[in-house]
Amino acid sequence: MTQAVTNKTGQQAPQPKLIKQAAPASELTPLMRVQDAVVKYGFVAVTVLLFVYFAATEPAFATSDSLFAMLKYASVTAILGLGMTFSMVVGGMDMSIGSQAGLAVQMAAMTMVFYNMNGTTAGLVVVGVGILVGLVNAFLIVYCKIPDLLATLAMMFVIQGVKLIPVDGQSVSAGMVLRDGSVAPGKFTSTFLLLDRGTLGPVPLPVVIMLVLALVSWFFLSRTKWGRLMYAVGANPEAARLSGVRVGFYRGLAYVLTSTFASVGGLILVSRIGQGDVNAGSSSLLEAVAVALVGTSVLGAGKANAWGTLLGALLVGIVLTGLTMKGFQYYYQDTAKGLVLLVALVFSYTMSRKKVRYTPAT
Amino acid sequence: MLSTRKTVAATILGLTMVTASACSQGGSAATNNPNAEGGKTQAATAPMPAPFDAGEVHVAIVQNTGQGDYFQQYLNGTKLQAGALKMKLDVYDAQGDNATQASQLDQAIASGVKGIIVRHGYADTLCPGVNKALKAGIKVVIYDVEIQKCSPDAVQTQQSDAKMASLVLDQMATDIGQNKPVGYVNVLGIAPLDRRNVVWEQYKKTNTWTQKFFTGKYSSSTATDTAPMVYNALQANKDVVAIYAPYDELTKATLSALDQANMKDKVKVYGADISTADIELMTAAGSPWVATGATDPNAIGAAVTRVLALDLAGQLTTKNVEFPPILVTQTMLREKSIKNMDDLRAAEPSLNISDTASAPWIPAIKF
Repeated sequence: MTQAVTNKTGQQAPQPKLIKQAAPASELTPLMRVQDAVVKYGFVAVTVLLFVYFAATEPAFATSDSLFAMLKYASVTAILGLGMTFSMVVGGMDMSIGSQAGLAVQMAAMTMVFYNMNGTTAGLVVVGVGILVGLVNAFLIVYCKIPDLLATLAMMFVIQGVKLIPVDGQSVSAGMVLRDGSVAPGKFTSTFLLLDRGTLGPVPLPVVIMLVLALVSWFFLSRTKWGRLMYAVGANPEAARLSGVRVGFYRGLAYVLTSTFASVGGLILVSRIGQGDVNAGSSSLLEAVAVALVGTSVLGAGKANAWGTLLGALLVGIVLTGLTMKGFQYYYQDTAKGLVLLVALVFSYTMSRKKVRYTPAT
Repeated sequence: MLSTRKTVAATILGLTMVTASACSQGGSAATNNPNAEGGKTQAATAPMPAPFDAGEVHVAIVQNTGQGDYFQQYLNGTKLQAGALKMKLDVYDAQGDNATQASQLDQAIASGVKGIIVRHGYADTLCPGVNKALKAGIKVVIYDVEIQKCSPDAVQTQQSDAKMASLVLDQMATDIGQNKPVGYVNVLGIAPLDRRNVVWEQYKKTNTWTQKFFTGKYSSSTATDTAPMVYNALQANKDVVAIYAPYDELTKATLSALDQANMKDKVKVYGADISTADIELMTAAGSPWVATGATDPNAIGAAVTRVLALDLAGQLTTKNVEFPPILVTQTMLREKSIKNMDDLRAAEPSLNISDTASAPWIPAIKF
């Protein structure tokens, strides 16, 4: 933290001590230097090495088709992971992120198939509902003082159930028979389907969206006052409060941002599936948590951050694609995903001499 | 110096990475599934045509989910047949996640395979990928996805679900007669289950059965998730005399719910699919599961692979291949003391469809 924090009266507030001061350079032993280097570059090195290894041993791995397919695969996970990054920055976690993506899938499908609206309307409805859900989460956490994990856990179940009520638990697809016996009037518009299936030059659109959102997240978190204050809130809410930071506002804002990203991720999901799939998003929660956690170890950050999350999602994508091409079954891939996360956690929690800023509130 | 804790951590990290790299050096991930059926390879009587004469042909199966007895056996058949044809088979398993399946189809196409088997999933989800593959000159064989409308060039295969349902429901009509209260456990929105549903609706009307409940949930643990739903439905409708649950995971859920509700002796269960585990359940003392419609998933998995092989060799003459089911009753299983799939195959040779979609150059797998 280089930025001074001012309190309400405009006076300089005492700097909250966010991280343990590293020993001055002169006191570092060679071993400590190596350790620091491993913590800082280890994860990037692992990513690069794996990439090179797969590229060298599987001729199809490093083709542009294959790389774009991999990036496209990683895009939804990355976007949800970026969303999760916001709630992790303020020291929380949004357990409802996967079900929110599922809700977005259902809302988009209903808007177009049941109500015959166009794709843009569907997008606006979905993001609107996402912001609304974020506000509910914020209300529960900030106003009702329910711990983050518990409030969002409850919301996860509520959303999972609520989203199925208007559709009688069925996946929404064009031409389905509605409750009153009539046939659904609408279908997924071709414009809407472009969200996942379109390309910008050779680059798939969801990859472009992922990169733009990563850039926006990075800028917001690292280059704006709001973002910096969110980190302050996450590191030590009490110190932040004493410094005059409106802690509740920033925690709430983080959850609204998480939900907004979840709804964008859901929009890409539904465009990929082409149906209001009732199961969509159910596997997204753990993946989003995993990549955001992996991100904490990138470049020894020790805290959730946008580029780290993006790299985490890409690493998971590289590992999964590579292992599949090598003929490993999905259960090996789950194992690999777990090991990636474990290695990242060892980098940032065990080996780092810096105090890790992310510890869940509950 | 490093503290002990740090040293331990570094060691763990090192070991983890060594283990991980040791795995990836291993190359083949072929494991022996303890439930896998052996299968006998029949000798080919003709030389292999192109592209099979020039070494390994790279293909992939993109499956919606691999969990459950049925799908494990299916993949077993696919793997054995692919092995006999000297194909390199990549297995993509979306674990029930449709968006993942779409991505994996993209990845399979990008990996440079010559042929792809797409097994289950939504037509709306898979259509763009299937058309992309066909356009790239990759042969695509679909199993159990109704995709003709948007990908007319893909080869469509399926077991005849309508026949499977009508065989079982004929039996049910004979057993319980007309005007009876019945239960229904199914999940709509999944192609084969939808096709069985169409037949159910007809039989329900023809036999004037009163459907007292309709429940079921498709998930990564369908049997576990559906059981409590059926139990609750039974509590509210104790008068049902029969339940139709046309997918073996749903049938299992129904059996466990009846067991828990102590209603095993009052209600007859009509199911679908067959496996060794299913046979055990049907023949267990006091089992309410009296009839099922059966195909041998091993044989189908192998047959679909042969369809792809024929297509790759340019010898496929049809775009639509159906695999016929048979009726299996509890009485028959008990009378012939059938304990497993091998016994059943011996008793019902028609289950083995090793003649379907075959050619002299194909070393067909017989189970």
